[in-house]
Formats: sequence, C-alpha cells, structure tokens
Amino acid sequence: MHLTDHLADVQLNEYLDNETNPKGRAQIESHLSTCDECAARLTALKTLFAEIESLPEVALTRSLAAPFTRPSNPPVPQLPRWFRLTAILQAALALITIILAAPFITNLLPAIEIPSLTEALLQLQLQWTAWLDFDLLSTVSMPTLPQIPALETSSLMLTLTLVGVSMLWVLGNGLLLRKQLK
Amino acid sequence: MNAPSDRDLIVRARRGESEAFGELVSRHQSGVFNVCYRLLHEHGEAEDLAQETFMRAYDRLQTFDLEREFGPWIRRVAANLCLNYLESRRVTAPLDEERDADSTLLPEAVTEVRERSEQIRAALSSLPPHYRVVVELRHYQALSYDEIAKELNIALSDVKSYLFRARKLLAEKLHASD
Repeated sequence: MHLTDHLADVQLNEYLDNETNPKGRAQIESHLSTCDECAARLTALKTLFAEIESLPEVALTRSLAAPFTRPSNPPVPQLPRWFRLTAILQAALALITIILAAPFITNLLPAIEIPSLTEALLQLQLQWTAWLDFDLLSTVSMPTLPQIPALETSSLMLTLTLVGVSMLWVLGNGLLLRKQLK
Repeated sequence: MNAPSDRDLIVRARRGESEAFGELVSRHQSGVFNVCYRLLHEHGEAEDLAQETFMRAYDRLQTFDLEREFGPWIRRVAANLCLNYLESRRVTAPLDEERDADSTLLPEAVTEVRERSEQIRAALSSLPPHYRVVVELRHYQALSYDEIAKELNIALSDVKSYLFRARKLLAEKLHASD
C-alpha cells in the first residue's frame, strides 16, 4: 500500500471491527498517521459505531417469565431421608418374617377348622333369600357340592395368619410407596 | 445464600421445575426483548417474539450444551427468530405500517438524546432484514465476522458486505436526518 493511496471503506470497517491481521493493522495505522483525510473518515465511522451502540435499553411492559412461573402442580413436600428408608426397611422385614413364618404356617394350616367357602356362601345365600322372602329363589334346589375337608382353627394359627397378612400389607405398601417417596 | 447460576437453573428446569426456567427468563428477558425490539422496532411484536424465543429455548433445553453461556446463546436465538420473522413478513405484508410511532407521539419536552435514539432505531428498522441482523450481532452482541457467518449460515464475504452496506445506509439516513 502506497502512502498516497487512500484506505478503502471496507478496510476502515474491518480495522474498527478488529478483523484486520497484525501486518495489515500496522500498515493502516502508519497510513492514518500521515493522511488527514483517511483519519477523518475513520473518526466519522467511529462516531457512527458509537451512535449505533448508544441505543438505550427499552423496558418490557409484561413479564415473559409468567408462563413458566405459574405452578402447574402443587409442590410435593419432601420427606426426610430416614423416613424414606423406613419404607424399604419395612418391606425387607416383612419379607424376612414371611419366609421365617412359612414352615410354621404350612405345619399348622391343616389343623385349622373353618367352614369351607362354598358352605359359607350357601349359608349366606339362604339367609339372603329368607330375608327377602322370595318364593322363587327359596324353591330353587342347590346342586350337591363336593365336600371339602374341614380345618381346625386355633388361636395360635389365627394369630400367625393375622401376622402374615399384616406383613404382606406392609410389604405391599412399602413397594407401592417406594416410587412416590423417591 | 448465593443466587443459583444459570447452569443450575437449566439443570433444575430439565428435571421439570418450570419455575427454575421462569427464574432464567426473568434474568434474560430484558436482553432478549431488546434484541427483538432493535430488529423489529415494534413493542408488541418484540415482546411476542421474545416470548416465542423463550418458548423455543424451553423446548430445546434437553439438548442445550451446559458448557455454553445461556445469555449470549438465547440472544442469538432471538436474532435468528426475528430474522425469520422479518423475512416471512417481507413476503406477506408491507413494512412500516404498524411501527411504534414514538418519534411522532413523543411530547415536545423529550430530550434530544431520546429523539436521536428514535432516529437510530428508525434507520435500523429501514434496513433489509439480513443487514439488520448482521448489525445486531456485530454491534450489540459483539460477535466476530466468523461467528456471524456461522450463526446465520452465510459466507464470510456476505457478512463483510452486509455490514459495510448496512453502515453506509445508516450513515446516509442519520446524516440526512441531521
């Protein structure tokens, strides 16, 4: 670049945008130091840049965060960690108890004497029809059902059954609540 | 207690805490809106486009690179969205119909600075869409020529050419209004 050649507008733009390589930059600066015309053009361009960048910020008239801050679901309270662990502990204990109780239940089960399910249902139905005083139903003869061996009941057996059922309930609840408690 | 970082808020928003994203929007809404306003020069449209920018960002949150800065990224998304909007509007509707008429509605007592700002905004909004966006990305978002080319998916020579012509037009309009 000869010192007598003026700088192109593109060169001045790139110079102000810091897009000129170091060598080119040095040449431009050397030229500007001796050419008043190009220096004046550079100043005008600088003024334009300053004007463009002088625009003040404009305020919003509404919050753009509103669609995201509306609570879609009520917040779920977080349970303490120790409480969440009890659910797992409950389930584990229930499982162990059932496994331990299984041999006792198997041994004692035949000793339980309870009316068979069929008999109980038949009795219930007869009472129901008698209560309704419904002639048609009362004349219906029920088919002969096969005899199911009766079981003997004992308080120990009932207690064990109750414990087993309770353990199953705890196990079931523990498993059901596991995901929710997480 | 320190305020959570943008990154923390993004992580929480990804887990479904929309309030965390709301907090992120509150932090950046002014910057994003001003990008839209500089490019559209119409308050209502700028707010709508800024809202749309955040909606899109929310949809893309799962794929957002957490190593990036959220603020510059969302402002670039806004600029691109406005460019697409301007391009589509250029085909379907004439410009300059629904502009904010602040310069004519301003009371006489407004300062000279405000009037000049309005002249600059008017000059910016008279530029073709691509010129406007290049000016926005260079002057207000401080992107390099390379970054602008990548962001707008155009050639580096186009960036230089758009920017040069845009400044020339701006200088003419601003000097003509002096």
